[in-house]
Amino acid sequence: MTGLLAVSPLLAVAFGALAVILLEAFARPKKAGGLGYLSVAFLAMAAVLGVRSWGRDYSGFGGQVVLDRTAVLLVVAIAVAGVFVALMSLRYLPRRGMDRGEYYALLLFAVTGMMIMVSTTSLLVVFLGLEVLSVASYALAGLRKDDPKSVEAAVKYFLMGSFAGAFLVFGLALLYGAAGGLEFGRVWGELGSAAPGPRTALWAGMAMVVAGFGFKLALAPFHMWAPDVYEGAPTPVTAFFTVGPKLAGLAVLLRFLEPLGRGDGARPILFWLVWAVAALTMVLGNLGALRQTNLKRLLAYSSIAHSGYILVAVLAADGAGLLFYLAAYLFMTAGAFAVLIAVEGEGADGGEIDGLAGLGRTHPWLAAMFSVFLLSLAGFPPTAGFLAKFYVFSAAVRRGHVVLVVIAVLASLVSVYYYLRVVVVMYMREPGAAAVEVDRENPALDLVLFLCLVGVIQLGVWPGNLLVLIRQAAAALF
Amino acid sequence: MSVPILTCLTFLPLAGGLLLIFLPRDRVREARATALVFSLAALALALVVYARFDGATGAAQFVERAPWLGRGLNYHIGVDGLSLFLVLLTAFLTPVALLSSWRAVTDRVREFSFFMLLLETGVVGVFVSLNLFLFYVFWEAMLIPMYFLIGIWGGRRRVYATTKFVLFTMFGSLLMLVGIFVLYARANPTAAGPSLAFQDLYRLTLPPGVQTWLFLAFALAFAIKVPLFPLHTWLPDAHVEAPTAGSVLLAAVLLKMGAYGFLRLGLPLFPDAARTFLPALSVLAVIGIIYGGLMALVQKDMKSLVAYSSVSHMGLIMLALFALNFESTEGALFQMVNHGLSTGALFLCVGVLYERGHTRLIADYGGVGRRMPVFSAVFLIAMLSSMGLPGLNGFVGEVLCLFGVLAANKVLAALAVTTTVLSAAYLLWLFRRVMHGPALSERVLGLKDMDARERLVLVPVVALMFWLGLFPGTVLRKMDASVARYLELVRTKPAARTVASAAVRPVTPPPQSSGAATIVGSAMAEEGR
Repeated sequence: MTGLLAVSPLLAVAFGALAVILLEAFARPKKAGGLGYLSVAFLAMAAVLGVRSWGRDYSGFGGQVVLDRTAVLLVVAIAVAGVFVALMSLRYLPRRGMDRGEYYALLLFAVTGMMIMVSTTSLLVVFLGLEVLSVASYALAGLRKDDPKSVEAAVKYFLMGSFAGAFLVFGLALLYGAAGGLEFGRVWGELGSAAPGPRTALWAGMAMVVAGFGFKLALAPFHMWAPDVYEGAPTPVTAFFTVGPKLAGLAVLLRFLEPLGRGDGARPILFWLVWAVAALTMVLGNLGALRQTNLKRLLAYSSIAHSGYILVAVLAADGAGLLFYLAAYLFMTAGAFAVLIAVEGEGADGGEIDGLAGLGRTHPWLAAMFSVFLLSLAGFPPTAGFLAKFYVFSAAVRRGHVVLVVIAVLASLVSVYYYLRVVVVMYMREPGAAAVEVDRENPALDLVLFLCLVGVIQLGVWPGNLLVLIRQAAAALF
Repeated sequence: MSVPILTCLTFLPLAGGLLLIFLPRDRVREARATALVFSLAALALALVVYARFDGATGAAQFVERAPWLGRGLNYHIGVDGLSLFLVLLTAFLTPVALLSSWRAVTDRVREFSFFMLLLETGVVGVFVSLNLFLFYVFWEAMLIPMYFLIGIWGGRRRVYATTKFVLFTMFGSLLMLVGIFVLYARANPTAAGPSLAFQDLYRLTLPPGVQTWLFLAFALAFAIKVPLFPLHTWLPDAHVEAPTAGSVLLAAVLLKMGAYGFLRLGLPLFPDAARTFLPALSVLAVIGIIYGGLMALVQKDMKSLVAYSSVSHMGLIMLALFALNFESTEGALFQMVNHGLSTGALFLCVGVLYERGHTRLIADYGGVGRRMPVFSAVFLIAMLSSMGLPGLNGFVGEVLCLFGVLAANKVLAALAVTTTVLSAAYLLWLFRRVMHGPALSERVLGLKDMDARERLVLVPVVALMFWLGLFPGTVLRKMDASVARYLELVRTKPAARTVASAAVRPVTPPPQSSGAATIVGSAMAEEGR
């Protein structure tokens, strides 16, 4: 029975997905908007089911599925991300001529996959969730069949994703061969007792798994595909890609690699590999963003850079900091993409930065909110982004990773430049001929914007209860 | 103390700013009035704080504490003799700057007023913070309004200037942030967990290597803000491009944040490392004095002339701070207030002229004195105050600074004295070229003298210059105990501080307390002869 309770949130979402598909196939609604609201309802149900199991630590299926506090927080965060994306899409889809129910079904399947990933302590189940997420994602990226960029994005994503999947499976095979199981604890436990031969296999397997995750999460140097895919995919889908998989994937990495960061003594090679990946991701992500003139690509690179910051939390084995960062990241990135969708309006996807010229004068509220999201991404107090960085980096320094933190803050100095460049265009240039056409009457989008704004400011100024919850969850994590 | 007066003082401007957001966009007059009323209310509160401030103790007063994020990241504010006058200066100059921009800023007035009020909250917050985390939050947060003030309402190269300003400052403060992380990791876990309160950090014993790195990180952040030569290159750009109100606040209070940082954190937190680096820093300060003065001599633009004079004057303040004796420290603190007033006034004067002539080039003027007699008089007083003429505020500060430096190092003092010559040279030459001579252009012939609003802006500033010049005791007396306590902190090793600070707590006015006033008195008597 508790097994069923442990999977109740993801069952709700999966049922929702099936319901949407069936309704789409048999009821054939003219507009998919109703199905969008239905998806939101199912996601909300999943969140409620998650909240209700707070502190109960349901587990089932032979311990393969665990709904501990961390999982609950992540499940709720993923559901919120799903709701944001669904609300952003409500008006976007009909405008782009892709108003079909399967969009919402795919979205819900992707959410299901992520929920599977975060509520387990076994690599096999993680892989299961990851593949559910990935297959749905490939389809989502290519949903605009008439747009060559979207198709290109889908193909690229699919090829890279399969490649990464192969890495992962190979790594899992090595781990299974050497450890006889794929539970996190078992793998690490075996590492302490195994003979040199199996131990090498274990390390190699872990490195493969990390590399596979690196591809899926677009961590440098495995990030090359990401900007193209993020640019080509429909904008709400991009918002989903930059938020959802990172929430789930980085949380999994933390759970899996926690002993690596916790070890105070000799640091294995794998540690330095992850260290290098984190540093590279921060540096390359930010340097890449510097040259972008397209907003979507800019945000894509910025999301890569943020994965790097979050990896610092993984290295510091700082569960609370990571969860807080993910929450802050969810609100600020979703908010930024909501603004992007608003300024895309009826026009084409992926606005240029220059198109925002004079937005501060023509649409002061929108520009002000975008500025808040960008300043939060850049890490200015008193926003969520600052506090998130403060927690993560101070935990890293406490573990002695001063050099990594210096790299991180210098990388974020670079990010200040390109985030502020967008603000410059909005406020310090006069509206030009290429001014954007802004989507005004879109209450669903306004709701997303408002919630993200509240989230960014509240988490930055008075995180109060959330901080308490996160600390409880992180304390029970290990 | 039931009313949290400092909290009100800090956040009242922010409240005004939030109110402004909900004002319709075209209500220009209401926006201006709201901003002015809120900043004046903050000034009134600041005056109450001043009046109730007890100069007999060096401990922080009006202390308020509240839990915030926990684990040492708490809300903890208060003022002592080091911060009191910087708070007052900020509260005084914000309404002045707002009033001065009545006509200069006509575009997006609501947003302008909003950012001015935000800036006031940020700066006051920096000065009243007694917790390192809170300090950093305000320190960074106040960049945002300044960024917008320069970037939106600035001159032709405003975007370049404002981006440079933010990136320079952020570079320093992000490395300081790493330093804060290290301190946070090492903060002594008290019963309630780690503490980032200044008073607890002062007692921290740090190994010499760590101290050196931390001092360098903090000193870099503060030196960029001051700015200390050779980190000053952002300053002329920012000053020249900023709108008048922005320049005033930038020169008058933002630069002081750097000096205040040294005073509050850099020197007392890492005294051993500080002593190692003080000679080098002092030399940089002296180079700044001379270099800034020479640069000011050759400027063609009035605003950049005043900006370089700021570099020079801040150099003297820093040199005095680094001398670490009673006179020099009091002099530096006093001179911070003076520099705020005189440079602020000079920027206001340049603004008055610019509003009429639409040019800041010195060569475009000449013979202004005859057309604008009142303006000319005010300009002269501001200049003389900046030069340090006896009877005006600048004299007291400069003399104290130089006496203090002389006691510490004769060579540096001799070099620093050039500041008086240089500032006289560039300021008097500026005055001659702008005010005297024949009216060179049509532009000058049509100039009208200052109107009532402009007089209202400048007269209080001028009055304060005289007040501080004639009655410096009103300020110095409230500083004495805090300065003595601060020097105690810098001079004793942290290991000994648990004992020392306990002994210092019920501070009796130290024997030197009247020293500063005596020196000024005798110096003035000499001048009289």
